[in-house]
Amino acid sequence: MSKQITFKSVSEMPMISVSLGDMDWNKTGTWRTQRPFYEDKTPPCSAACPAGNDIVAFIQKIAQEDFEGAWNIIKEENPFPGVCGRVCFHPCESKCNRGSFDEPVAIHALERFVADFAFRLNKKTGKAREKRKEKVAIIGSGPAGMSCAYHLARLHYDVTVFESFSLAGGMLRMGIPSYRLPKNILDRELSDIEALGVDIRTGVSLGEDLRLEDLKDYQAVFISTGAHRSRGLHIPGEKEKGVLSGLDLLKKINLSKRVKLGDKIAVIGGGNTAMDVARSVIRLGKKATILYRRSREEMPAFEDEIVEALEEGVKIRYLVNPIRVGQKDGLKRLECLRMELSEKDESGRRRPVPIPNSNLFIDADHVVIAAGEEIEASFLPEGLEKKEGIVLTQRDGSAGIKGVFAGGDLTSNQRTIAHAIGSGKKGAMAIDAFLKGKDAEGAIIQNLIGEGPSLSIWGYLHPDERTRNPQIVKFEELNMDYFEPAKRQQESKSAVKERIKGFKEVSSTLSEGVALDEAERCFSCGTCNECENCYVFCPDGSILKREELFSHQVDYDYCKGCGICFTECPRGAISLKEEAK
Amino acid sequence: MNKIKVPITENLGHGHLACAGCGAAISMRLTLKALGEKTIMVFPASCWSIVPGFWPYSSYRITAVHAGFVTGAATASGVRAALDVRGDDETLVAVWAGDGGTFDIGLQALSGAAERNENLLYICNDNEGYMNTGTQRSSATPLLAWTTTTPVMQPKENPKKDIMAIMADHHIPYAATATIAYPEDLIRKLEKAKGIRGTRFIHLFSPCPPGWKMASEQSVKISRLAVRSRIFPLYEIENGRDYTIQEEQRVVPVREYLKLQGRFSHLTEKDIEITQANVDDTWERLLRRARC
Repeated sequence: MSKQITFKSVSEMPMISVSLGDMDWNKTGTWRTQRPFYEDKTPPCSAACPAGNDIVAFIQKIAQEDFEGAWNIIKEENPFPGVCGRVCFHPCESKCNRGSFDEPVAIHALERFVADFAFRLNKKTGKAREKRKEKVAIIGSGPAGMSCAYHLARLHYDVTVFESFSLAGGMLRMGIPSYRLPKNILDRELSDIEALGVDIRTGVSLGEDLRLEDLKDYQAVFISTGAHRSRGLHIPGEKEKGVLSGLDLLKKINLSKRVKLGDKIAVIGGGNTAMDVARSVIRLGKKATILYRRSREEMPAFEDEIVEALEEGVKIRYLVNPIRVGQKDGLKRLECLRMELSEKDESGRRRPVPIPNSNLFIDADHVVIAAGEEIEASFLPEGLEKKEGIVLTQRDGSAGIKGVFAGGDLTSNQRTIAHAIGSGKKGAMAIDAFLKGKDAEGAIIQNLIGEGPSLSIWGYLHPDERTRNPQIVKFEELNMDYFEPAKRQQESKSAVKERIKGFKEVSSTLSEGVALDEAERCFSCGTCNECENCYVFCPDGSILKREELFSHQVDYDYCKGCGICFTECPRGAISLKEEAK
Repeated sequence: MNKIKVPITENLGHGHLACAGCGAAISMRLTLKALGEKTIMVFPASCWSIVPGFWPYSSYRITAVHAGFVTGAATASGVRAALDVRGDDETLVAVWAGDGGTFDIGLQALSGAAERNENLLYICNDNEGYMNTGTQRSSATPLLAWTTTTPVMQPKENPKKDIMAIMADHHIPYAATATIAYPEDLIRKLEKAKGIRGTRFIHLFSPCPPGWKMASEQSVKISRLAVRSRIFPLYEIENGRDYTIQEEQRVVPVREYLKLQGRFSHLTEKDIEITQANVDDTWERLLRRARC
């Protein structure tokens, strides 16, 4: 009975004032001045992920104990969860809203957990059945090239990857020691990409064996040859015997582990290559000292790497700058100047300035220069635009020649794995749009996560699905009444004594129970996870639930617009707007 | 966070006339979820004479009996007796009265029923004033609060009456406080009360957006702050003697609770200190009662 009742005469009325009908006819929605509605917003973690991982979505799957679902979500955007979970510098965690409450969620550890869970099950990404007729060539099999290959293969293209080295993986294989990234993890993720039908041809070098003209059969080319040339210090003696490049040494150690080295090694630089070299050298039973011209605070290496290096016995001398490599008694003798820090430079770090007459000498068997890498431009095809040491790409991902695209370290000074994976994805999206005659720049802008530059290929493939508001959820928009402080769970690390014996992985994957606890800590910013607070607290019973099923629907016939659902939503997944008059 | 679980049944229908954000509407919805359909509820005059709708309609999906202001507990005693005569042991008889109908006008009927240990569940829906008739003070109105009869020039001089102590000293089998920000606690207490024979008393704290001059979306927040600031502690008393306090771990100064409500906006720093001292004192008294 939801109709209004009318009595034609007094005799129709009941004997006493008993109710005869309900109030459903009274549409209290007409009182409303503001309208609540479900609207997913962008979590800060995803917006900060250069690879564009849908972090909240995969963590919520973990929390529901659906680890396979979590894996599928990561694999939509990123073919390298096992790699990223271990060696990504996780900018997502520094933006995690939980950091303003207690400690950020250990997102990297959860990603690694999911990847290793999938490995155990021997999970594979489904092979694209029908292939399109267009062929795409990718030059360089590092994270950028392989990410591009992965996404293009999933878009049904016939993809060939050319690699100059005898094994695929690029910097992931050559630049990262196996105590941080075991080779079997990399191999598994690469073979997963191959299983999609990607053809990897190793031992083919651009410039020498292969030229752009040889790729006439390919309708598009993606160049991701990386940045492999060590940057010199431009000081006397650096070209002499006994002075090595950090990356070259790492490559040798990573590929064979049998490297002839003296006992005392001096490593110049403060980045991750310097740390990796020093820690590898320690594992070969040698002594390593890092020389860095600024202080610890300015070190570009990741904090964890610095901490672990120090634990393992690497010595770091701050505020010293080599000015000459000499010789003495069969050793290399480094002449250095002490430095002091002055005002901030354009990088935001304090500029080191030499202290006059503060010369000091450091003796070592070998000197390793790890002062950064630059791109090797000599073998690149003519016509690629270059600027400030990198290859310039347009907003549509192209690189100056029609049909040629580029990505990875070659095109950016933000040389991280996640950036490379993201740029490979961008390349794949741009190539797909180019080959289909669509507006690539438009597609890229359309699928930015938040304000960008991270991209979602899921959004590109599902243009009609529910999308998130690009607005990034701030801590103040969350309701902390529903969260209790909980300790951040970390991977455990093996004892230093064990670590320095060899190249075994230092940290271990979270156990299932610990991963669940950690996933529970996620606020799920801006993303409804059906906690049902809105349903529980609605004074007007206007949050629809069918039987036990939550519907994400407001019953606007009766919702009075009080806004309690908006306030009590712990994660900012409900918005309020003024009701149209 | 743990998902809050409440029964799926809805026994408060749509189209009711509660103001937007009404804390008592949440109280009622949750209460009727907990009590179920086999309930006869007696309503002495209060907002809840009006909220369910006007004759010949009602949004209650249980049997409701409207009664005179004074007579909540007395009417319920009669309903219980009638059911007993018919041998109906199953149906729960409850009273839903406001603070006016409990602390002031209905107190003698309630005291009488409690002294006789009538087999009924008495729920006092406390919004700290006569909100339905235009926000006059009741003896449940807190110290220094504004109402239309305690204007800001002369806010309420007396602290809130301790109704829980009064009921406990009737030695009834069960008395408990509850509020909407803690739905599982509220439902647990109602279900516990339902399983006990004799007079059971639930003091239910329901923020009132218009009467407290607060934003409608803040009802649950203010309910939570009332508990956290110890304005309204959650506890149970069995047989007038055994106390169990559900202590909130995150204690906040009473200022946090006061500042969201216009009825306290005239308070000076000194007034806030006085209020805090009063809250601390009441909390100490509760602890002392709980200890002995």
